[in-house]
Parts: sequence; structure tokens; C-alpha cells
Amino acid sequence: MDAQAPCSGIGLRSQHHAEFLERRPALGWVEVHSENFFARGGVQRDVLAAVRAHYPLSLHGVGLSIGSTDPLNRSHLAQLARLERDFNPILVSEHLAWGSVDGRYMNDLLPLPYTAEALRHTAARVGVVQDTLGRQILIENVSSYLEFKDSEMAEWEFLAALAAESGCAILFDVNNLHVNAINHGFDPSVYLNSIPPHAVREIHLAGHGVERLGTRKLLIDTHAAPVCSAVWELYGAALERFGPVRTLIEWDADLPALDVLIAEAKKIEQALQVRRADAA
Amino acid sequence: MPTLRKLQRRFAAALFADADESVSEDVRADGSDARARLGIYRKQLHAAFARTLALEFPVIERLVGGEYFQRLGRDFQAVHPSRAGDLHHIGAPFGAFLKQRFGGGPYDYLADVAELEWALQECMVAPEAPVFDLHALQSVDPARYADLHFEFHPACRLVSSRYPTLDIWRANQAGPAANEIIDLASGETRVLVQRCAQVVDFHVLSVPEFALLEKIVQDFCLGAAFEAAQKNDAPFDLGATLRRCVALNAVTAARVSTTR
Repeated sequence: MDAQAPCSGIGLRSQHHAEFLERRPALGWVEVHSENFFARGGVQRDVLAAVRAHYPLSLHGVGLSIGSTDPLNRSHLAQLARLERDFNPILVSEHLAWGSVDGRYMNDLLPLPYTAEALRHTAARVGVVQDTLGRQILIENVSSYLEFKDSEMAEWEFLAALAAESGCAILFDVNNLHVNAINHGFDPSVYLNSIPPHAVREIHLAGHGVERLGTRKLLIDTHAAPVCSAVWELYGAALERFGPVRTLIEWDADLPALDVLIAEAKKIEQALQVRRADAA
Repeated sequence: MPTLRKLQRRFAAALFADADESVSEDVRADGSDARARLGIYRKQLHAAFARTLALEFPVIERLVGGEYFQRLGRDFQAVHPSRAGDLHHIGAPFGAFLKQRFGGGPYDYLADVAELEWALQECMVAPEAPVFDLHALQSVDPARYADLHFEFHPACRLVSSRYPTLDIWRANQAGPAANEIIDLASGETRVLVQRCAQVVDFHVLSVPEFALLEKIVQDFCLGAAFEAAQKNDAPFDLGATLRRCVALNAVTAARVSTTR
């Protein structure tokens, strides 16, 4: 299969490593969390080498804290660069988020205030990462549970501007779009229509949970449930807007059997086929 | 409008200190709603840390119970927060933390069990190293054997305790809760923890063997290491110990001191 062709993949987690390598299911690609493979030895790297021998690979980072005002963590970046060199992935991605300040890490994807200052800062750091890796990276929109009063633009304006200023591509997470639309009360079609289609090089689909805050319902990005119907519907709208884009099923907690992920990936493949036929 | 740096500092302080006031003026929500929304991030901050700690110290979790382990994890995070974007490193000071918390009391042994578990974690992710080439020793003048320094394999750790920590570790592996009663006074532990072919194994060492390897790890020359081993009354065979180290691939290279 053409490594660049839009197709479906799954996020591969350690609980599935052995079965995945034994069965080698027919999937277009595989994505892993970069930080889980930073160690220089041990079984993890052997697994990744075996996976890479049979599948196009995407490295998805969760810990670079790209929006933090601390100096960029050069040790983290060096480890990412080594992994990138060793495994030659098709894509390298990170999040539009911060997770550390004053050297103290929260190891979470915290939202930024959408200000001109944050945009300049984040675009510059994306630039440093791209220069270090010698390649374009993808930046993913994150789920959030609060907004900052001093934001000067909408999240979608910030994301589009970041892509334009830094030259990064966008990893568009449709579940995060749905979560934020409910949590912050905006129309997801406005978001979708503000994202330049040419910038979107990957899509994520995942499940979420629900938490009640008094009378209010808040969606939580758990990656612990099947993709809900509203997200599948939004995915259709995203494909209409962006065209066929490589799409991943992400599941991180309460992991189901590998077959469940493969079945979700097949649903993605069907949606991509419909979109390809429409485009033709 | 606060600068991005000021906002991030206030946000982090609010999450770590359970103090919402400092950041609630930055959040677009009112009173209780702002606190509840911050609470989601606070819960995630502690949950991710506790999950990783439990994966790194399953025996400690089993010994103290899940609920108490969560509380310990939270206290530990308050003094030793994560310092990297990769959570795998958080367990490094956990043994010292337990020593400070429980040292000298009836649970003094917990710190040593944690050190054993951390050694295992470190071995699991350490890089590979070449197998020791015995032929390299042929070029060394026998008169200078005492000046040899050995490279210790990165996937090996030495762990010692005045408690039977290896027995405790073995009795608390996955499966039904252990019924075995281990007498804390039943013996000391001196062990070489080693990853080999992606499996971690334990090799029990005698007092002089441990003393010798401890000096080798600290980059003392063989003469000094041998001297340390001989300080003990237990019988000791240097040749047999070195052969065992090579056979186990615990040492990977040797060099002669440039100065005597």
C-alpha cells in the first residue's frame, strides 16, 4: 500500500503488541505515543522495530509541552529526534497545548489562552521543533474543559493561524472538536469551515465520557469508549471539507480486544472509500 | 491581561496547591463552575501520576493497599512532581521518599522493596551493550591485572538490603494474595538485577561478591575491589566471581588504569 495514501490506522498500545505482531492485521498504518519508546533499550524498541518493518508508522507526542513558556525541553526534543531518525515515520505530531512551567510537569494537555502572544510563542516553538527534526510536524487540537477570559480569538482561528505562521500541518481530532463544541457551546461547523483543508494531514477519532458539573454536562476526552454517533457524523462532515485524509482510531484506557479497534478502523475505511468515490 | 507566563504559573499553582482562587479570575466561567472545571484538570494531574507510579511499584501497592498507595502517591507528587514530559522517570526518588516517611519504623523495609522495584524498572529500559571479549584481556600484562577497570552492563543493578526484599518481591507477584509470612529478620538481600533477552532476572550474591561488584560499579580498579571483597570473613574466589560476571554478561569491557 502507498505509505502516503489516505487510509485507516489504529493507535497501538502495549497490551496489544504481542497479538498485533502475531496477527499482523490488514491496516494502512499504525501510530504510537513517542514517549513510550524513548528508552534506549528493552522490549519496547524491539516491538517498534518489528511493527515498523510491516507498517507505515506515525509518532504522536504527548509531552513536548510546546505551548509552555519554559525553555523548550531540549532533552525531550533530542530523544524525539533520535526516535525519528531510528524509525523513519511517515508523520510526527504533537498537541496544541502546554503541560509544564518552572520545570514542573503536569503531564497533561492543558489549553492555551488564544492570544496573539500565545500564537507568536507557539508558532516560534513549532518552528524550532520542525527545524530540529528537519521535517514538517502536525499539531493536534485538544479537548478542553475551560476557556480563558483573555482569549483574543477563537480556537479555530488560533489553529489556522498557527499552521499559516509556523508552516505546520494539522492533525484534526474530530472527537476533540465535538467535546469542545459541547463544553464551550459553539457550532462545530464554524470550526470545520475555518480550517484550511490543505493543512489537514491526519484525523483522529476517539471516544469520550460524560461528567456532570451541577446541572451542566461536560464531555471528557477519555479515549476509553467507542466513537459516538455524533462524532461519526462530524467525521463525515470533516471528510467533505478536507477530502480523504489518513484517519486513526485512538483508544487508550479500558482497552477493548484488538478486534474492536480493527472493526472501528474498517468503519473508517468505508467512510474513506465513499469519500474517494465522491471525489472521483 | 496576564502574560502567558504569569497565567501558566497561576494555573499550575492552582492545580498543585488545590487553590482555585489565584486562577479563577483567568477562567471564563463563574464561581463554582470555574472550580469544578479546574477540578477536572486537578483530577487528571493526580490520576496520570498515580497510574504510572502503580505500574512502576506494583509490589509496594500490593503491600500497602490500593487506597493508601493513592494517598502516598499524592504526597510523593507534592514533593517530587514530574520533571519531564515522559512520566516514566517519576519513580526514581520514590525509595528515598519512603525511607523518609517510614525509616526506622515497622515499615522501614518498604523503601528497600521500592529500591528493588526501581532497579528492575531501570534494567527493563537500559540500552544493550556488547558481550565481553575475553581476548581483549590477552593483551594485558598480568602484572597490571590489579589496575583493570570493568564496565558494568547498563542493564544490571546491584541492590542490597538488611531485609529479605527479594523474598518479599517474589511473594507479591501477580496472582492470589500471598499467604506466605516472611520474617523481616530472616536475612539480608544482596542481589544482581539483570535484564537478559528482555526478561529481568535476579542473581543472589555472597557478601564478598557484592563488595567486589559494588567497587567495580563505582569504577574502582580490580585491586581495590578485591581488597574490599577480602575485608569480609566469607570465603571468596576472585577467579570464579569474575568468570560468573562474564558468563552473566554483567561486565562488558575492561581497560587498564592509565595511572597507577
